[in-house]
Amino acid sequence: MITPSPDQLVESNASVLAKFGYQPFGGEDEDWGGMWKLLQGDFTTQQRPRVLDFEDLTLSQQEAAKVYMRRRLIADRLFEECRKAQADLFKGIDTERVERYSIAREAYEDSVEDFGKAREKLDSMLPRIEN
Amino acid sequence: MKWKTYDKGDVLPEDYKKALLNLMSFQGDSEYAGAQRVAENHRFAPRPEEAYRLSKKVMEEMGHAYYVWNLMQDLGVDVNIRLQELARNPTNPDPKKVNIINGFRKENWSPFFECWEDVALFSTVVTPAAVAFLGQYRECSYLPWARTNVRVHKEEHGHLAFGVWASKRCIEFGGEKTREFMQERIPKFMKMGLGFYGRPSAGQTKSQMFDIYYEYGIKVKKPEELQAEYMELLESRLGDIGFEVPQGVEADYDMRMGYEAAESGATIETA
Repeated sequence: MITPSPDQLVESNASVLAKFGYQPFGGEDEDWGGMWKLLQGDFTTQQRPRVLDFEDLTLSQQEAAKVYMRRRLIADRLFEECRKAQADLFKGIDTERVERYSIAREAYEDSVEDFGKAREKLDSMLPRIEN
Repeated sequence: MKWKTYDKGDVLPEDYKKALLNLMSFQGDSEYAGAQRVAENHRFAPRPEEAYRLSKKVMEEMGHAYYVWNLMQDLGVDVNIRLQELARNPTNPDPKKVNIINGFRKENWSPFFECWEDVALFSTVVTPAAVAFLGQYRECSYLPWARTNVRVHKEEHGHLAFGVWASKRCIEFGGEKTREFMQERIPKFMKMGLGFYGRPSAGQTKSQMFDIYYEYGIKVKKPEELQAEYMELLESRLGDIGFEVPQGVEADYDMRMGYEAAESGATIETA
């Protein structure tokens, strides 16, 4: 659920965006702690053999971890679009279908790059063992 | 040296078309089969980002196949049967239907891969050979294929970056012991990389088909030139990671991208 800002200007920004289709997210929040358990292996380098549970991260680390996990969720959706376009090529290869696949694929690739950048950002915020 | 060039819609001399389609089919079919092999290696991915980056690579290699097949279709080839064959028989496609380089046949590929470090090293050590080899097609005499390979070449460069990234990550997670483990495994991939271009363009063991391709401007660089390009790329990549370039490694020509019409088994029927 969205927590409204006490600052009315921020809220009015939301209403302008709403003119173009913005809707406040009304569903359940993700299970960030559960997802973090599956993904924290990305950070357990030699100089950081253990990573804290999501709940034990600082507020800013949690925010960076959520960005990293959201990037992954976006990549998952774009991966599905790419798979759909790939399956469509089995109906017959032609320029239109090849270009459709290319666009879906590039979007998926960009999302994986974004996931990687978010990982790097979070990585820079997590403590390491000093040599 | 300048060659007569052809663009989309031009009438191609029959012998030229036959040679061109042979090389194009090797590229298209092998890109797809290569993507399938990379997909099989997905099981080795040790961490989330590695898994996502490899899945991206699979999709990209498949995309290269579609580009090339689409061009072959313009030349009257039914390419859908090639996709169907590879999808139905990924581990043993019929050599009468598709042209796969030896290295991308499952029985040849699989023994090279035992762990994620091998996956990282393949992209570091063998991919520079593909970058150099396929790079020559950007200047080939069939202009639609040349343009497509400009696109492919740019993306293959991304795969080089993947290899370096993945190798560095292996070391970041595994330390010096992993670096030594990987250093010992470089020669097996380097043999493949060195043999990628086929045998030298002169001498008793020279490729029978090379002169024909070269005369037509379909291949525009000699194996020796490509090998020099490969070594330059390889040395810079290995140095970037902190590996040494192994000395005295001999090329394995049996794993090469054959790309020779005489050895092509697949029939390429055109309308």
